[in-house]
Amino acid sequence: MSKDLPSTFAQGLVASVPIALGYFPIAFAFGVSATGQGLSGPEAFALSLIVYAGAAQFLALALITGGAPLLLAAFPLIAMNIRHVLYGPALIKRAGGDAARRFAWIWAFGLTDEVFGAALGHLARGRTFSEPFMGGLGLGAYSAWLAGTAIGAFAGGGALAGYPVIEAALGFMLPALFLALLLSILTRPQLPIIAIAAAVTIGLTVFWSGTAGILGGMLAGALAGVLGLGGRHES
Amino acid sequence: MRAEVLILCLIVGAFTYGFRLVPTRLDLSKLNPVGPLSRFLSSTGPAAIATLFVASILPSLQGPWQAQLPLGAGVLAVLIGYASTRSVVVATLLGSFAYGLVFALI
Repeated sequence: MSKDLPSTFAQGLVASVPIALGYFPIAFAFGVSATGQGLSGPEAFALSLIVYAGAAQFLALALITGGAPLLLAAFPLIAMNIRHVLYGPALIKRAGGDAARRFAWIWAFGLTDEVFGAALGHLARGRTFSEPFMGGLGLGAYSAWLAGTAIGAFAGGGALAGYPVIEAALGFMLPALFLALLLSILTRPQLPIIAIAAAVTIGLTVFWSGTAGILGGMLAGALAGVLGLGGRHES
Repeated sequence: MRAEVLILCLIVGAFTYGFRLVPTRLDLSKLNPVGPLSRFLSSTGPAAIATLFVASILPSLQGPWQAQLPLGAGVLAVLIGYASTRSVVVATLLGSFAYGLVFALI
């Protein structure tokens, strides 16, 4: 396979396999948790279908079941997802500033944390950017998320209660995926950026909140890059 | 389906979609490859993934030491799995398996 040929939709689907393997059990756990906390199956599925942002969905569960007013519930969920504004430009920059974006209105819907990481890893291995690839990558991940939610909601609350080992192993799937994705794009000059992002995430999470930790860690790491801590060359 | 849940989904979903789509429309073709904005965008990827990894393991790190043994095994398995295969899939599955195995043993 030539590295110069545009990446295909099928390659995107293949690249989505690790994400799908990570998404399915998490979405399953979300469906189980949602119905266990009193949401109906269609309500749980609507959150995955329309919002499609795992951490925000779990927070939405807590807010909905806690009886938070609509606008009050929407604000932290929107704030939690602000980090996604960084992904599109970072990806396009890595793909080449003139990368095709004609169908971004389709594939950008699925530009989640993990899809962004996988796309970046794909490019870091010398492959080319293409919109069909992004479509395949996004579709595979989205399908797994929807299927996991639907099956979890159908199984109902407490479905994993009798299988704590499986529940624990599935719960580590997402951290394992993040770590593997990080390793796949890692270069030595980026180590200071990663160290700063990690330290700020820990500090803000411990002393403020998880959302502040995620947003602050990303921004601190990116600003460290601006200061030249990630090397002055184009990565 | 309750109307307020659907409205919440639509509001948050619309903003999230906007956050993902609108920035992809920025024209980056004339961007100075060693300029500040270029460095900011190049650093965003590793910073974002490192942040999400740390955020996802922090609850275990803050828990009792028993919770940290499976975490250590899982992290080690991902590192070994990736170093030996260069496969994100294999590393992820090995990490999850090792985590579950140590969790079962303790």
